[in-house]
Amino acid sequence: MLLPVRTAVLNYLYQAGEADISEIMAALRPMYGTEKQFSKKMFMEHVMSLEANGLAELKSYELNQKNELELRYQINADGRVTAEKYIPAKFRQKGGKS
Amino acid sequence: MKSMNSKYIEMQQLNKKFRVTGISSGAISGLTYGIYTTLVLLAGLYEPLISAVGLLAVPFVTSGLNDFLAGLWLLIYNGGKGRLKEIGRSLNTFPGKMVVAGALVGGPVANGAYLAGLAMAGAYAIPISATCSLFGALFAWIFLKQKPTKRVVLGMIIVVVGAITINWVKPEGSPNFTMGIICAFIAAVSWGLEGVISSYGGSMLDTDVAVNIRELVSGIVTMLIVVPLVAAFPLLVGTVKAGMPLLLLGLSGLSAAISFLCWYKANSMVGCAIGMSLNVTYAFWGVFFCVLFLGELLTPTIVAGSVIIVLGAIIVTMNPLDLIKKEG
Repeated sequence: MLLPVRTAVLNYLYQAGEADISEIMAALRPMYGTEKQFSKKMFMEHVMSLEANGLAELKSYELNQKNELELRYQINADGRVTAEKYIPAKFRQKGGKS
Repeated sequence: MKSMNSKYIEMQQLNKKFRVTGISSGAISGLTYGIYTTLVLLAGLYEPLISAVGLLAVPFVTSGLNDFLAGLWLLIYNGGKGRLKEIGRSLNTFPGKMVVAGALVGGPVANGAYLAGLAMAGAYAIPISATCSLFGALFAWIFLKQKPTKRVVLGMIIVVVGAITINWVKPEGSPNFTMGIICAFIAAVSWGLEGVISSYGGSMLDTDVAVNIRELVSGIVTMLIVVPLVAAFPLLVGTVKAGMPLLLLGLSGLSAAISFLCWYKANSMVGCAIGMSLNVTYAFWGVFFCVLFLGELLTPTIVAGSVIIVLGAIIVTMNPLDLIKKEG
């Protein structure tokens, strides 16, 4: 069974160290891409909630060609501890480069 | 330079929107919990609930039906958002299992005790139950080793003073008043415990899904295990068949669903402290609606006590100055 999406977002940040929302969505698209919940708005909420809960930090932000904000997040120490504690190792190791 | 400025403004607007949504969600959670409280009490005024015997039968039948119906409303909501699969995925994780454990404490125990308290002590039970933030801070101190600051201790003392104020003058004609207040305290202790249990890793779950699990687990366990234990299954069936009380519990379930959705959302958007502080305003709304629609008597002690408890609860969970702090 797949991880819940918000957990999968944290897991991706754990593996990649840092990423913007487009990168996270591209990485998770093969698994969750067909679901109705797979939208930029939802992923924005996921990363901003992870930030509000102290598991990730905003690293930088840029305006893209469409004049939309591209937010780049990085996992922090608490996020790493939480991921290691609660995400099963088999998920953390997939393509992991922490 | 111009693009630097415009991206900075866009980011400021995004942060502001996120914070405003979080704060509004917290405020709505308080209002809708007050509505839920009033609707459950109103349902209790209809047959067969009004003439039911036993102190525990009505509270557990109403809390079980309310939570289950709230869970159904949330299934419709999450289904519409394409998140039904997330329920199974979340239950498969350790944090998801902790949400279930929290639901068992917060649902059958806390909701049952809260409604028993309301049945016995009326609106007086509402602000007493709002001391849950005090118990949340206490349990976080004991189990999570989060030592309270001086501000938190001050808030705790204020909450206790408020609770004493409310009980200073007992309303006339309430033989089970003290028992009702004790039940409201049991609810507060259990909600405090639920907060600590469900916060284990809960920050990495979608809160809309976590709330759905919470309400469904609470409703099903209360109806299938607790209600038969207190010999109230015939009352449950009678209430479902009666129509009007079921309709009111369907509406109270909708209010509870909105309240929990907004509360969890606020906690994850602006932090647990601000979210919880805004949520306890349900004590105001609950008393206000009960006086307005159910003819509860407004006495000076309940007004003073409610205000003191809500102030104390806010000080326990946050520095009140943070609410008016300007965005940096």
